[in-house]
Amino acid sequence: MQSSSPIREYELMVTRRQLFGRMALGLGTAAMSQLLDQDLLAGRAGELSATHHAPKAKHVIYLFMSGGPSHLDLWDYKPGMQQMFNQQLPDHVRNGQRVTGMTASQKNGLPICPTKYRFTKHDNNASGLWVSELLPHMASVARDICVTYSTFTEAINHDPAITYIQTGSQIPGRPSLGAWLSYGLGSMNENLPHYVVMHARTNHAEQSLFNRLWGPGFLPSDHQGMLMRSQGDPVLYLSNPAGVTKSDRRTQLDALAALNHEQHQRFADPEIVARIRQHEMAYRMQTSVPELMDLSTETADTFQLYGEDARTPGTFAACCLNARRLAERGVRNIQIFHRGWDAHGGLPREHGSQCKDIDQGCAALITDLKQRGMLDDTLVIWGGEFGRTAYCQGNLTRENYGRDHHPRCFTTWMAGGGVKPGITYGQTDAYGYNIADADGNTLTPQPSKEKWTPGTMHIHDLNATILHLLGIDHKRLTYRYQGRDFRLTDVHGHVIHDLIS
Amino acid sequence: MKNTVSIAFLRRLLTFTVGTLDAMNGAMFDASCCRLLSHAKSRSREGMLRVPLRVFASLRLCVCVSLMGLLVAVVFGATIGTVRADEKENVKPVDFARHILPILSNKCFVCHGPDVQEQDQLRLDTIEFATADRGGYQAINSKSPLESELLVRLHSADEPMPPADAEKKLTTAERDLLTRWVQQGGRYATHWAFVPPRKTEPGINDPSIRNTIDGFVLGELRKRDVGFAPEADQRTLARRVALVLTGLPPEPEQLAAFLNDSSADAYETLVDQLLKSPRFGEHQARYWLDAVRYGDTHGLHLDNRRGIYPYRDWVVRALNENLPVNEFITWQLAGDLLPQPTLAQKIATGYVRLNPSTGEGGAIPAEFQMKNNFDRVETLGTVFLGMSLTCARCHTHKYDPIPQTEYYRLLAFFNSTAEPAMDGNKYEYGPVAKAPKDQAAWDQWSNLLEQRGQLIRTAQLILDDGVSLSQDALKQWLGGSGVERLKMLAYWQGSVAMEEVSKRAVKILKQSTEAEAAFTTTLVAQDLPAARTTQVLRRGEYDQPMGEPLQPGILQVMGAFPKDAPLNRLGLAQWLTSRDHPLVARVLINRVWQGVFGDGLVRTPEDFGLQGRQPTHPELLDWLAVELHDSGWDRKHMLRLMVTSRTFRQSSAWRDDVDDPENLLIARGPGYRLDAEVLRDVALWASGLLDPRMGGEGVKPYQPGGMWKALAHPGSNTKDYIADKGSLLYRRSLYVYWKRTSPHPMMTIFDAPDRESSCVRRSRTNTSLQALGLLNETQRVEMSRMLAQRLLTQVETDPTRLNTLFNLLACRNPTENETAVCLGLLRAMKERYAGSGKDAVALLSLGDAARDDQLNPAEHAAWTQVAVTVLASDIAILLY
Repeated sequence: MQSSSPIREYELMVTRRQLFGRMALGLGTAAMSQLLDQDLLAGRAGELSATHHAPKAKHVIYLFMSGGPSHLDLWDYKPGMQQMFNQQLPDHVRNGQRVTGMTASQKNGLPICPTKYRFTKHDNNASGLWVSELLPHMASVARDICVTYSTFTEAINHDPAITYIQTGSQIPGRPSLGAWLSYGLGSMNENLPHYVVMHARTNHAEQSLFNRLWGPGFLPSDHQGMLMRSQGDPVLYLSNPAGVTKSDRRTQLDALAALNHEQHQRFADPEIVARIRQHEMAYRMQTSVPELMDLSTETADTFQLYGEDARTPGTFAACCLNARRLAERGVRNIQIFHRGWDAHGGLPREHGSQCKDIDQGCAALITDLKQRGMLDDTLVIWGGEFGRTAYCQGNLTRENYGRDHHPRCFTTWMAGGGVKPGITYGQTDAYGYNIADADGNTLTPQPSKEKWTPGTMHIHDLNATILHLLGIDHKRLTYRYQGRDFRLTDVHGHVIHDLIS
Repeated sequence: MKNTVSIAFLRRLLTFTVGTLDAMNGAMFDASCCRLLSHAKSRSREGMLRVPLRVFASLRLCVCVSLMGLLVAVVFGATIGTVRADEKENVKPVDFARHILPILSNKCFVCHGPDVQEQDQLRLDTIEFATADRGGYQAINSKSPLESELLVRLHSADEPMPPADAEKKLTTAERDLLTRWVQQGGRYATHWAFVPPRKTEPGINDPSIRNTIDGFVLGELRKRDVGFAPEADQRTLARRVALVLTGLPPEPEQLAAFLNDSSADAYETLVDQLLKSPRFGEHQARYWLDAVRYGDTHGLHLDNRRGIYPYRDWVVRALNENLPVNEFITWQLAGDLLPQPTLAQKIATGYVRLNPSTGEGGAIPAEFQMKNNFDRVETLGTVFLGMSLTCARCHTHKYDPIPQTEYYRLLAFFNSTAEPAMDGNKYEYGPVAKAPKDQAAWDQWSNLLEQRGQLIRTAQLILDDGVSLSQDALKQWLGGSGVERLKMLAYWQGSVAMEEVSKRAVKILKQSTEAEAAFTTTLVAQDLPAARTTQVLRRGEYDQPMGEPLQPGILQVMGAFPKDAPLNRLGLAQWLTSRDHPLVARVLINRVWQGVFGDGLVRTPEDFGLQGRQPTHPELLDWLAVELHDSGWDRKHMLRLMVTSRTFRQSSAWRDDVDDPENLLIARGPGYRLDAEVLRDVALWASGLLDPRMGGEGVKPYQPGGMWKALAHPGSNTKDYIADKGSLLYRRSLYVYWKRTSPHPMMTIFDAPDRESSCVRRSRTNTSLQALGLLNETQRVEMSRMLAQRLLTQVETDPTRLNTLFNLLACRNPTENETAVCLGLLRAMKERYAGSGKDAVALLSLGDAARDDQLNPAEHAAWTQVAVTVLASDIAILLY
């Protein structure tokens, strides 16, 4: 075994040495089997022997809307914009901020583009929540979610922006949030992958995803997210080859273990014993994963809640239902990627279809978790890599328009896991273009080590808050690589206590 | 003033106490004294106490401290014998570079390092700053070390350093070390890796020593009263060295010849054969390709195909031809800037073009110009300097002495390359060269070049013999390049003496033209006529340049820029390969060592900086680094030294007499799980499927459906994975297509990196996904059934088949127990498949390779199951 952390490596070695070191040199096969059988069902410990403080959440279900959903058409209600239809975005609002190469020089300038959708106000636990007609189901859980209007980053293009959200850095090479959690907290059920990623079906897969988004970065690669697929084996190479039954595999594994035992007798390398364990775990996964994917035990009520779509593998609703089942079985980290939110043109058509994909599933997941008493320790997060511009990209009509990338402010929501239910946080100006204070004055927050602007939530702040809810001080979960103690939040990040119950 | 006096007085008093108590190993007491003292000091600094009171307080403290000293003297009086031993330990000089600098760097530099923001903030990274007068006191007082403020603050309860809310605290051992260091005068030394390496000899004689490496290793072992582990048996050793050098087990004939060779240098003969094998370069190239992040796609946005694989093929060639390492470096960094660069030198500059790139609509070119440059500088840092330099992108490095300005000077070397910032999602973008499309084409091309050279030499002789030429023609001949002269010869007229030569020139020219027509393209480096302006960027933001435009320049802490070297990439290469560069040879040889022994002498090959781990055998590392220079940068020579050493030949069994789980002492031979590529290659080789053809466009073996599609942009030309057919399925894994956003799962599951950023050390994990892959993946099954087929068709009986299987994979016969286990499995499987022919055929139908249908399906399937199992066992997947 070699991991990239000398400390981790050393600790592993010490632990193993105690177990298998000198003693094992003279240890017979029977005795070793006994050692192997012990504690097989327990999880794997993480880097942190204990969380830094009592965690509020044990699980994270992250619903990632890849491409950048329009906050202006879904959540951030700006009735004043209706009167400004097709007027140019005032310079003082843009304030010299850069725009992408796609709209920087378009002929019609930056015409203000009000949403075509009707918003209605729903009771929550504060002063109410405006929700677009595109999200009728989400409106029904207004009391459960905490909506942040002032999420922001500096990244204006998909690739860097999505990498930023997922890894805390715009440049590839850093571990993803899920990998950090796996590294810090370990897993709760070794029969299932500790960090599961699902890709939900969409009609508009405009942008690409990358392994790095759930990758281990410089962490040991066993912390990478495992793709749970809706096509073929849900877990790569899970099924026995054609013509090989479960009992064949058992016979084979017994022979394999005997061969490896012999190798261990010869070399006393503790890693060999660890590998025998992994084979046994793989064998159990061959049962536990199909059981997980088998929705026949779910009741009709469940499908009413999630919608009939949930019966079709790979739909967003099915992924949500799977997410609940995974959390039930002790999987800590679940992430669903839904692509197709990059509506540069024809936004109403695309977002209409996108919202149909996700609306019921999102709401059902929250309701379902709540009914089962799981919402208290399961943190649900919804968001994309940025929002979309107040001005139109391409031709503007009342009924049809497009919007460009907008990282300066966008909407995300969280539910459960110790987050205050039914509140909103932060606000934007009358154009949904800049983050604003309560009086509507523009705020220009920057990610900063020392300074945090109340009412704003940089991605580092969001990540710091997520870690906090899981019992981790984001400044103290570090990994030494290339001489630096890296952390998810770089040198930034402030836990936003206003969101925590 | 009085205040200062009283504190100075207290400090002197403390001096006495610390001196006495520390000698007595009374750290606890000494800390409490400090606490008292510092309490008084901080209070008085705040001006809360009036003078008389302060004096009184001091006096009271004096009494306390003296009394305590007395008490301690009494308490410890009885154990004076022990004290002496400890005293000796305490007098032992603390090694600054080895022990102190890492602590300062890790725990103090975050506030007191090279990047301090405020003028009056204390810096501890150089002795000048640390000993500067800070208004009546010094952090380190070299003349009276015990009056150093550092000492006070280290033990202060009220104003402790590091402060109570610091993210990193000192351990007791670290505090003690720092205390002892200051007490001993607080001397500084340069971080070991910034001092050019010097050769020393191990100065140890022992019959077990085979070469200098062993002297250094044995020296450390002897300090622990142990020696080398016994040598591994010949068969194990043959397997080990073949896997280490070529990534494959020895060929059966090769193994037999070695075992039958009774001469003293039989092993060396084997090593030389392996070093000459074309498989050598293929295996060694992988490490380099990880480091330079070679990939077949752009990496960002559409992640489209990119034309660069001739660079990969060049790396393999360069390693096989043993191109001296300094030239290997120079060609890659600056082949285009060499006088009349050859095709190979141009192709090698693909190194400069390996950064992931984007063609995302709306992306801002200026931003990506800088991102590309950052990536290049930081990769250069990781690959050659053993440090990423990333910190210095935004601010002067916190730990290592690298100012932000120097980072941007280094970047300026690359801020002149001609390709656009964005790739346009194109296969070719920016400068490209025509290049042979695989190694066979390359061989042919080299051959033609050789023929051309010979022909030109012949022609010259004829000319020298008196064939007259017009003035113009002579000028053209003398000034012409190889190809121009060849053309002249082809069209030569009116000379009988030249007739034969001319005919051959026509032929070579024709062949060359045909060969060139089949060339592919590859991305190369080229400079713009005028470099772009480089300035320091505030916080690394592309749109916030500040200060004067910068000339290219190097990192001062790593030696001077060579005199007369040009201020471009070529000069940069000359700096890197200069004799007194402290890092390059160490960093590179450490990775060569890592490839052989599994771990480097510096266990953090990516970090030779202050925060990295110290070398386990510093003198050995330095000896190797200098030997690399002395040998004329001869990589094969270095590898030969390593694998023929007694150190390498040790048995890799864990030892009862050495408690060293990490094998830091190298008291046993290497043992580790083989890399992803090797696992696949070994099985391809054993099954007889391996296609030895070298080079060419990346190949696509089987992959579960939909993996690319699930991620890809619909506009991407790598959204559909279409597996290859025929022999391409069985090429070495080096050639497996590397889509950076989604490399082949059998690679990533076994820890291969994504090649989006530099990787100089793969992790070696052990997971249940690997277990599933080993037993269920289509190609594993296909290789196993072809291996079974080989055994069934080539070998007579089951026990001898098993012997052959073990000899292929482990270079030995199975033990009695292994035989029983495997034949037992075989029996069970034969019974099972005899009863279900359908299952047998289903298993035997996996993969494209043709099945010998003369074979009994039940028997074939049963042997397939045995082969799958042995191939997945530690017998096959470990180096040992």
